Amino acid sequence: MMGKPYDFSKNKKFFWGLIILVFCFLLPAAIKSAFYLDMLVKVVLWAMVAGAWNISCGYGGALSLGHTAFFGIGAYVSTILFLKFGITPWIGMLAGGFLAIFFAVALGYLSFRLHGPFFVLSTVAFAEVLRIISIHWRSVTRGSEGLSIPFKPNWGTFILHNRLQYVYVALCLLLLVFLISYWIERSRFGYQLMAMRGDEDAAESLGINTLQLKIIATSISAFLTALGGTFYAQYIMYIEPHTILGLDFSVQVALISIIGGMGKAFGPILGSLFITPLSQLLRGWFGGGYVGLHFIIYGMILIIVVIFIPEGIFTAIWGRKERSNFFKDLISKWMNKIGVFKT
Amino acid sequence: MLQILVQVVVSGLLLSGVYALVSIGLTLIFGVSRVSNFAQGEFVTLGMYATYWLFVLMNIDPYLSLILVVPSFFLLGIIIARVIIKPIVGAPPIAQVFATIGMSLVIQNVALFFWGGNFRTIKTSYSETIIRLQWLNLPLAHLVAFGVAMGVIFLLYLFLKYTYLGKAIRAVAQDRQAASLMSINVGLLDLITFGIGIACAGIAGTVLIPIYPVYPTIGFPLALIAFVVVVLGGLGSMTGALVGGLVIGLLETFTGFYMGSALRQIVYFIVFILVLLLKPSGFFGQRGSEEVGFK
Repeated sequence: MMGKPYDFSKNKKFFWGLIILVFCFLLPAAIKSAFYLDMLVKVVLWAMVAGAWNISCGYGGALSLGHTAFFGIGAYVSTILFLKFGITPWIGMLAGGFLAIFFAVALGYLSFRLHGPFFVLSTVAFAEVLRIISIHWRSVTRGSEGLSIPFKPNWGTFILHNRLQYVYVALCLLLLVFLISYWIERSRFGYQLMAMRGDEDAAESLGINTLQLKIIATSISAFLTALGGTFYAQYIMYIEPHTILGLDFSVQVALISIIGGMGKAFGPILGSLFITPLSQLLRGWFGGGYVGLHFIIYGMILIIVVIFIPEGIFTAIWGRKERSNFFKDLISKWMNKIGVFKT
Repeated sequence: MLQILVQVVVSGLLLSGVYALVSIGLTLIFGVSRVSNFAQGEFVTLGMYATYWLFVLMNIDPYLSLILVVPSFFLLGIIIARVIIKPIVGAPPIAQVFATIGMSLVIQNVALFFWGGNFRTIKTSYSETIIRLQWLNLPLAHLVAFGVAMGVIFLLYLFLKYTYLGKAIRAVAQDRQAASLMSINVGLLDLITFGIGIACAGIAGTVLIPIYPVYPTIGFPLALIAFVVVVLGGLGSMTGALVGGLVIGLLETFTGFYMGSALRQIVYFIVFILVLLLKPSGFFGQRGSEEVGFK
């Protein structure tokens, strides 16, 4: 034989990644049921938005409950440009993204002097202001009635014939978010972000410009979230303030990322694979008669996760050697924390 | 013209008492445990529902039900503090914020699940009563709400100023570590303050139900207002919460009356942003606040 055989072990990760990627793109084609395709679109979309949240909040530690604002900006800008001026949502998507960056920078300069809960509060306030504006600025947004997009399937108008095509567009967006997160984990920028999350004062004393860093991270995050917003508008073809600019949305995005594992590129994807089908199933099982039940379960999961396994369920399980002790550990940890049975 | 102005000022003042009460509960909890309770508004909702059901099922007068609401909410607060708040005292902000957000989500949706999303109001013999001082109209329920809120705040002030327990609470709020070195049981005080904070929210709910209808999401905006009040007044300061509550109540009524309801809903956020820009430590900021909330 001539030459050395190609050494696969060197690039093992890369090849596994490629295989998973090809699999992800082939799998949807095999799904025929509209229900599962719809679920898949939602899983991918939520993973993408949670991934975008993860960039500023997971790596950078700037906890935000205002990402619904960026999502809403993306959805509204592309839809209004399309309905009023006939501009294709593909361009509207970018316009929404840049407007989101503008707001992210403005918000950043105002509120990055705050820390902890008060920063979170300022992001909630920001999203609430946008929501109230979109309800009352009826000439442009049509208020609570919402805007609906007429169904004219065409690639140019970003209204696609079937769900499979939406799956692929969403997968491309998710891939973009994933690659950016992956790059962040390995770049100087990402190390600086994570150093800042660990200890802001220490990071600053090492010469990191934390304000600039936070603003860049939030801008990236806002831009990607806005792309998700446009995609949502084009997929559902109807937007109104309460669903896309509400606090529930921000909480769900944060929940997915926290449960999957913050500050990990895979975290939001795993979180979405777990949470999105769960919410669909809970809604399906309990029907319309038991509204709110899935939010009760969400809330409980959120409390348990942030208190006892802040690193996220999946990271916690996968990062452990003895997997079988995981739930036992969890329970004894809680007992110790609330001091019931001191062992 | 002047008459309208005076009427608006008085209405704003009456509204602000309840804001001050909710905010004082929030700022007490924050001062002692350094936990920001995003679910504070949900306890107001619970207080409203409790009073509503006591009235509907057992025909207990809303104001009389305070006798039941105060101790039961104090107890509820202690139980919640024991199970959920205790593990997050001193935890990173993410745990504190999302544990209390989770709590708010659970309470909101438990209310939705059991009692539905309908607006529920109660009718008492005095719901419509208006006291007239010449041209000035004072709705009785508003007056009582303001009076009860101020009374509770005054009692809390006496409690914090003159009792041993109150002094211990103030000591912990000033310096947690030093207080624990002086053999103050800091963990126990965390529970008690949380109980007091929740009882304040419950009282606010009770005095609100004769005025406003109750529905599951009514509380969250109140929590946001309370946070703005606390930031405006200065973290951990009771005087600040009182003054901040009055300012926000007045502002809200003024903008609502003169500039329409859209602006009324966002005016406190605008105030919030202005405070952050101009005086981030608030009017009566307490030592240590900058270390936790502001830099």
